Parts: sequence; structure tokens; C-alpha cells
Amino acid sequence: MAEMVKLFVNGQEVAVEQGKNLIDALKVVGIEIPHFCYHPALGADGNCRMCLVGIEDGRPPLVPACKTPAMEGMKVLLDAEHIKKIQHDVLELELINHPIDCPVCDQAGECTLQDYYMTYSLDDSRRGVEPVKKGKRMDLGCGVVHDQERCVLCARCVRFTRQITRTGELGIVNRSDEARVAIFPGKPLDNRYALNIVDICPVGAMTSSDFRFRQRVWFLKKDEGICHGCSKGCNIYIDHHREKYKDDMIYRFRARTNLQVNGYFICDEGRLSYHRENENRQSQTRVDGGVVGFEEGIKAFRSRLDTARKPLMLLSADCTLEQMWAVKRIANLYGAGLSGYSDASVLPGDGDDYLIQDDKAANRKGLELLGIDSSKESFMAALQDADLLVNFNNDLFFSNINDELRPLLDSKECIAVCSHARKLFEKAAIIIPTASYSEYGGTIVNGDGVLQLFRKAVTKNDDPHDILEITRLLGGAIVDAARAWPGIRQSVAVLSAVQPEQIPAEGLKLQSSEEPHVGS
Amino acid sequence: MEVKLLSARFDIKDAHLLEVAKAHGAYETLDKLFTMTPVQVMEEVKNSGLRGRGGAGFPTGVKWSFLPKNLDKPVYLAVNSDESEPATFKDRYILVKDPHMMIEGIIICCYAIGCHDAYIYIRGEYTSQVKILQKAVDEAYAAGYLGAAVGGKDFRLDVTVHRGAGAYICGEETALLESIEGKKGQPRSKPPFPAVVGLYDCPTIINNVQSIASLPFILANGADAYRVYGTEKSPGTHLFGISGHVEKPGMYELPLGQPLLEVIDKVAGGVWKGRKLKGIIPGGSSTPVLTPEEAKTVTLDYESMAAHKTMFGSGGIVVLDETVDIVKLVENLISFYHHESCGQCTPCREGLGWMLKIVKKLLAGDGGREDIDLLVELCDNIEMKTVCVLSAACTMPVRSYLNKFRHEFEAYAAEKASAKPDLREE
Ligand SMILES: Cc1cc2nc3c(=O)[nH]c(=O)nc-3n(C[C@H](O)[C@H](O)[C@H](O)COP(=O)(O)O)c2cc1C
Ligand code: SF4
Ligand code: SF4
Ligand code: SF4
Ligand code: FES
Repeated sequence: MAEMVKLFVNGQEVAVEQGKNLIDALKVVGIEIPHFCYHPALGADGNCRMCLVGIEDGRPPLVPACKTPAMEGMKVLLDAEHIKKIQHDVLELELINHPIDCPVCDQAGECTLQDYYMTYSLDDSRRGVEPVKKGKRMDLGCGVVHDQERCVLCARCVRFTRQITRTGELGIVNRSDEARVAIFPGKPLDNRYALNIVDICPVGAMTSSDFRFRQRVWFLKKDEGICHGCSKGCNIYIDHHREKYKDDMIYRFRARTNLQVNGYFICDEGRLSYHRENENRQSQTRVDGGVVGFEEGIKAFRSRLDTARKPLMLLSADCTLEQMWAVKRIANLYGAGLSGYSDASVLPGDGDDYLIQDDKAANRKGLELLGIDSSKESFMAALQDADLLVNFNNDLFFSNINDELRPLLDSKECIAVCSHARKLFEKAAIIIPTASYSEYGGTIVNGDGVLQLFRKAVTKNDDPHDILEITRLLGGAIVDAARAWPGIRQSVAVLSAVQPEQIPAEGLKLQSSEEPHVGS
Repeated sequence: MEVKLLSARFDIKDAHLLEVAKAHGAYETLDKLFTMTPVQVMEEVKNSGLRGRGGAGFPTGVKWSFLPKNLDKPVYLAVNSDESEPATFKDRYILVKDPHMMIEGIIICCYAIGCHDAYIYIRGEYTSQVKILQKAVDEAYAAGYLGAAVGGKDFRLDVTVHRGAGAYICGEETALLESIEGKKGQPRSKPPFPAVVGLYDCPTIINNVQSIASLPFILANGADAYRVYGTEKSPGTHLFGISGHVEKPGMYELPLGQPLLEVIDKVAGGVWKGRKLKGIIPGGSSTPVLTPEEAKTVTLDYESMAAHKTMFGSGGIVVLDETVDIVKLVENLISFYHHESCGQCTPCREGLGWMLKIVKKLLAGDGGREDIDLLVELCDNIEMKTVCVLSAACTMPVRSYLNKFRHEFEAYAAEKASAKPDLREE
């Protein structure tokens, strides 16, 4: 635990963490110091000068808060007239060459410059001269579109490519008010995290070609979620909106800070994976090729299960702990086999040493914890034996390693509970549409053993049923996520004390039961 | 008035060659140097009262003493030969006329501060000067004054000549360090100061060419001999570059403390063509201008300049005669600092360009009195809000012209008022 110190802000005493820079230290106690260039992931650069504060009895009397560590007894001046004037003046200078095209700017509504203008200025412009002309709509690669005129030259983007991805594609060229962010000729952005630049750019200078002009941000409902793109479980914002007469759609994912899991960033693939939540969804219930109502589908599902000699249930490694538990219970009820075989969602060598993992499943650890066999051998053996495969959203053909399985799979009767229309499910006798992860909530355990809770974000017009709900309709006892927990707690030692609602925001790092006991 | 301490060998033909320089006393202090302890050398320099000749006038010995003690890191010296401030042309004389005096000074400094790797950062535009300097360094290596055993003693010293690429800002000491490190020349925020975290994150001393070149005299003759020249608080001599509207522009070595007007009249031949004096820039373009009235009481030392609300600066004196258009001068001045702003921090990057456009607007006859007020205000809004003092190097003199010659700006504004009606819609 860091040591706390007492210092004074505008004469008022506050207790903050010693040594933390004033921006972060005072933020904890609810005091905002305006800033553009400082970013906790990138450190202080000191270039924007928006964070200048006074230190009474200090030498020099004006310091950038981002570079000033909190110290005992420090007297920080924030609301003095001369400090307010500096904030106002720096903003005026920031705006003197700014296009102020907020009406057509994607950032409007979540723009630091716009917000600060409303908070610290509101003055009329004194620009009586022509602004500097710079590049517009520049394609920097990786779907990042740059507007040099909107740029406040905070160098966050540049520092991101140097410090975080270490790819260094960006630099600031030229001096004075001709300075601008640029790439080397013919060397565009080329890394798997480039779109984070759009998130960290405080203004509308870096936009995403994917999101540009698609939605005004103030219409977006910003819910917290967890990316299901791989086993890292990066924290995200799910920004979605239901346009009049239309369906609830996701417009973008953005990185959400979780220092225990993903830090401040997410990968581009994960960020763009929201498209999969919107597109190619399985919406119809089908029985033997014909479209039927959902209830009818469930009825058929039940009767096939009842009559099957040897059903085999297959879980997706993306399912939540609660869903897995519920399916496990249902498998018991029907005397069915159960497998979590999902090797196809591991792409060896695809991961890196940062966030991206080889394993594209969000909750493989969950399968392990619940003791659900996921080996290929046992799945194959059980499948040979089975006369009915009930597939809970497991895309065995996610990669091509299961191609040889096709004939065998084709020879078995299959019931698919699926969120997306996929080749694998086309031949299923019964297709039951189900919710995808933005439409349900639950807990998952990432590859590093961090247990995280997420909640339902999107509600479709025709809201698909969660797997949990479907198991209930099949006669299962787990009627909601909470009802799964007494059983989970009882059967999984490392989860025995978990109260899902009390999982901290940064997740709960589980003590691995496989960890060897050291010493006596 | 003139003295020849630093410039003693300037008039000797080919004194930039080791052979000639040596025949006239170069490197003679080394024997004495190695009989002293580094602490004694540092004390001698402190006692001499030598002040940094790069512009700020910080006492050289005191700066050295800021180096942390008991280091586990190397110490570096960077000799600042960027000399890019308009009206400043003193260091170049040392570089081409007596580079061995500077190299000798580097040895003295490095011995005192425990440095074994020194850099000479020379401005990119000094294309002929760098050849002479490099040759001198090569000669010093060949003669054993640099290298593994300096002067045959157990002291290694390597000196690297590093060329800039033509940016005024690289004269600012931390931008200079960035540039040596191969990065874009942009000043670092201070603290930490370079004496603690400098080149390659190691403790580093940055001194001006002339500061370093002053060391051989001090070491050879002692602090008291140096203090014979100059004033109590501004001891020694200085190379003054006198330019502008005088009869005899040039570089003159003078003891500090001389009356400014007397120097202009007696040394530089007075205002040229019998014209009247309009103003004097006392120490390079970044120093606030002096009116003829103010100049009467000014002496050429740090204290007198400060008392007259200007700065000693780099010793680059510019004499302005009555024909000078102050508004055009200011346009020229801002153009330079705007062009040289590294563009890193907001007030300097955006502000200087804005100021330049306003002055251009005035000159075009499109400005009003409110533009003059805006200029004054912008000086205040920019100054001291920035990472380095380049912005102040522009706003301080500009403010002085606006204050002392406001009528000239108003004349341009008035012109507009009479020539064109204000057509702006309100
Ligand atoms: C914008 C700017 C330009 C500077 N240019 C030079 C220069 O060309 N030469 C120089 O010696 N000092 C220059 N300085 C001063 C240096 O930062 C530094 O103070 C000096 O080199 C220290 O040496 P001294 O203590 O021997 O004077 C400049 C400072 C600023 C802010
Ligand atoms: S960057 Fe901000 S201030 Fe600039 S145009 Fe966009 S929304 Fe407006
Ligand atoms: S593009 Fe954005 S992040 Fe990059 S320097 Fe400009 S304002 Fe900062
Ligand atoms: S004041 Fe000007 S030159 Fe100095 S760091 Fe800021 S932008 Fe660069
Ligand atoms: S946040 Fe401190 S200078 Fe930009």
C-alpha cells in the first residue's frame, strides 16, 4: 500500500498517494486537472501545458501537474485567477489553428478540447488571421484516419507506437505550427493494436474508418463488457444504440481500463469483433428444415432428447461458468455425454507477448474448473457412440483442424443451439437460436485465471434466449445465473467462496489449484 | 578598452594549427593541471567568478558542483557550439582562430568534473568551421593531448565533434542532448536538470565554447588574475560581437563593466553615417531593446543589464539607427523564433505563429490598435508557460519594442484607420 500524504488544494486539505503525479493523485479525490498529453499508460510528456498549476511557496511557482509528484504539505493552487487564466489562454492557443468543425467531427460529444472549452473558456474567438492549413482525411493504415488540423500535437499516438507496440510508425515532423503527425512515406501503421490510437487521441484527429460518420456518440449507450475475441478477456465498452424503428446494434467496442487484465488497451481484432455480434446471426428456429416458432423448436428438442439412445452434449469454451454448469446439469438429467472439445478455437502462434492469445475462446479455464472433459480422444469416442449431438454454440470449424471430422459429424443427427449461422449448423435437424455474449451476462475465467463478471448489454427487438434459459426450458433447474452458483461453489474448490456480484471490477485472480505445493 | 585574453592568439597566423598554437603557449597549463586535484581546479574556477557565456551567465564552477557525488555512472561534458542566436558571432572566432584553447579548456573541465567523454556540439551551418575544429581535435589526438593518456598522464579523454542539422533550438542545452542522442532536437522538461540526468541519462555538464575557452587563462594565472578584469560580480573579459549600424562592426574582446555607449563610440566607431541612435539590442536578438536614453547608464555586465530590465545575453550588440522600422524589425524577429520553435509545446507552437500573423497584418495596413493590445497580451500569455525559454526569447524583446516604440506600431494601425473603413460585420 502506497504511503499517503496530506497536501492542500486551494487551501483545502486532501490525503493522496505520495509520489503519484498530481493529475492522478487528485483525480482519486475528485479533483480534475485539465490535460491533453498526459495519459497514465504513456506517462507525462509535458507538452500541452494545459495542466499548469501553481505551487505556493514553490520554485518555480508554475509547474505541469503531470510532472509533479504529490508531496507532504504541498500547497497546490488550482482555482486562483492566474491559473484559470492560464487554462483559458492555453485553450485559446490550442484553438487558434483548430478547424472547429465539431458538427462533422466524430469526436464531438466526447472531445476533450470541446469539453474543456465549455468548462474553461466559452469566450468568443479572437482569430483575426488565417489558420494554418494541414492535411485532412489521411489514411495512416490499419483503419486509422488522421486529420492534422484537428490535432493538438499531444504526441499520445506517437508515444503509443513507440512505447506500447514498439513499432514506431508515427512521428511528428516539422517544427513550430507546421508540426504535424505523420508516417514515413510508404510505411503506414502496421501493428495489431493501432486502433487504440483512436481511443487515446483526445480530439477528433484520429478517427476509425470503421466508425467514421456512422453514429453521433451521444446517442450511444455505453455499457461495460468483456471481449470474447480470445482468452485474455480484455475489458471493453460496448457502445450500442437502437435507431428508431430499427434494432439494437453495436457500433463499436472501445478499450476499458483494467490493470489486472488488459491495462488500457485492446487489440484491433477484438475491437472490430463487434461486427460479429451484429452480423450473420441465427434468428430463425428450424426443425427438419422448416421454420417454426421458438416454443415448437424447444418441444421438438425435448422429444428428440427424450428418445435419443445416447445423446452427446458439446459446449463452447466461450460459454459462461453458469451456462456450462447448467448444461452439465442438463446432460446429467438426460444421461447425455458432455464434452468441451474446442481445439479448433486455438490458433497456435497467433498470439503475442502482449494481449493477443493463441486461444480464441473466452472461458476455456471454466471448462477445466468444472471438470468438463475437452480432449479430442474422448470427444471422438463419445461421438462415435452417440446417436444425437447437441451442440451448444461450439464452432468446431472455427479453424480447419477438424475438417476430417466432417463425414462423422454429418452422419450424426444434430441439434444446434447457436447464436450465429454457420456451416457446421446448416445440416442440424433442429436449430435453436441463442443469445451471444453481448446479450447475456455471467462469469468467465481468462487464460491467466482471472474470474470476471459481465452483464447483458444489448437487448435485441427479438431478444434471443440465453443458453441458460434454454436449459431451463429443457427441464433444467438452473433458472438464472445466480441459481447456478450454489452448485458451482460446492463442486469447485477455488470458487467455493465466490459471490459473483462481489467480484471486483478488475476481476478476481483465482489461486490455481494446480499450483504445486512448495516446501513442507 | 580592448584586452586580449581569449583573443591572444587570434591575430597570429595559422594559430588554429597545433604547431603554431603550441609555439604560443597552448597546452602549457596541463602540467600544472595534473599537479592539482579536481576539487582544487573546481575551486579555482569558482573563485574566478567565471559566468557561463552561453547567455544565462550562470557561474561555471557552481554549475559543476551540482554534479552528484559518488557516482556509479559516467559524467559527460557537452560543449555548446550551436551559436545560432541572431547577432551572436563570438564562438566561431574561437572555433576557427584558436580551437586548441577550447580543447585545452575541455581537458581542464573534464579533469575537474571527472569526465572522460566530451562532445562538441557544433551548429550545422558552420561547415567550414567544423573542418578546422575537427582538424584541431585530430591533431590533439595525434599529439597525445586527447585519447587514452592525456599529456602522458593517467587520464583518458575522448572528444567527439557532433554536428547539428541546423536548428536554433538545439542550442538549448537539453535539446542539444536529445540531438546528440540522435533524436529530434526538442527541449526536455526540467527538472531533472542535466547535471543529474543528462546525456544518455547520465550526469552532464553543458558549457558554452567561450566559457570553456576561458579556463586555460584562469588555470595558468589564477582566479585573482582573471578578476583583475571586469567587475566584482561580472569578472573577466568577453568577446563582444558588435553589429548593425556602426562604423566598425566586428568582434572585440573587452573586460566586462564598460559603459555601453562608450564602447559603441570608441570601439565600434559610433553610429554610422552620422545618423542618430534609435536603440540598442544589448546581447543577442532575444534581449529586450534599450532606448538611447536608457543606454546612457548601461555598462556591459550582468548586473547593469538586469537593472535596466534587459539581459547581458550572448554579448551580441546590435546598434539600430534612426532609419530602422521597428515594426519590420519585430516581424523579422518573430519570423525567426516562430521558424525555430521546436513545435513541442502549445503556447510557443501556436502563439508565435499567431503573433507573426498579427504583425504582418499590421504591416499590411489591415491591423488596428486592438491588434497591438493583443500582441502585448499574447506575450504575457505565452511567456513562461512553456517547456523551454525559446518562447520567452521571443516575447521578452517583442514586449520591449511594443512598450518602447508603441507609436511606430500605432502608426501602422492608424494608417489603416484612415485608409480603409472597418468593414467587419459585428
Ligand atoms: C533557445 C535557446 C538557444 C540557446 N542557444 C545557445 C547557443 O547557441 N549556445 C550556447 O552556448 N548556449 C545557448 N543557449 C543556452 C544553453 O541552454 C545553456 O544555458 C548554455 O549552453 C550553458 O552554458 P554556459 O553555462 O557556459 O553559458 C540557448 C538557450 C536557449 C533557451
Ligand atoms: S476535435 Fe473536438 S473541437 Fe475539434 S472539431 Fe472535433 S469535436 Fe470539435
Ligand atoms: S493525433 Fe491525436 S493523439 Fe496524436 S498528437 Fe494529435 S491530438 Fe495527440
Ligand atoms: S517553448 Fe517552443 S522551443 Fe521550447 S519546447 Fe516549447 S515549443 Fe519547443
Ligand atoms: S498534461 Fe501536463 S503538460 Fe500536458
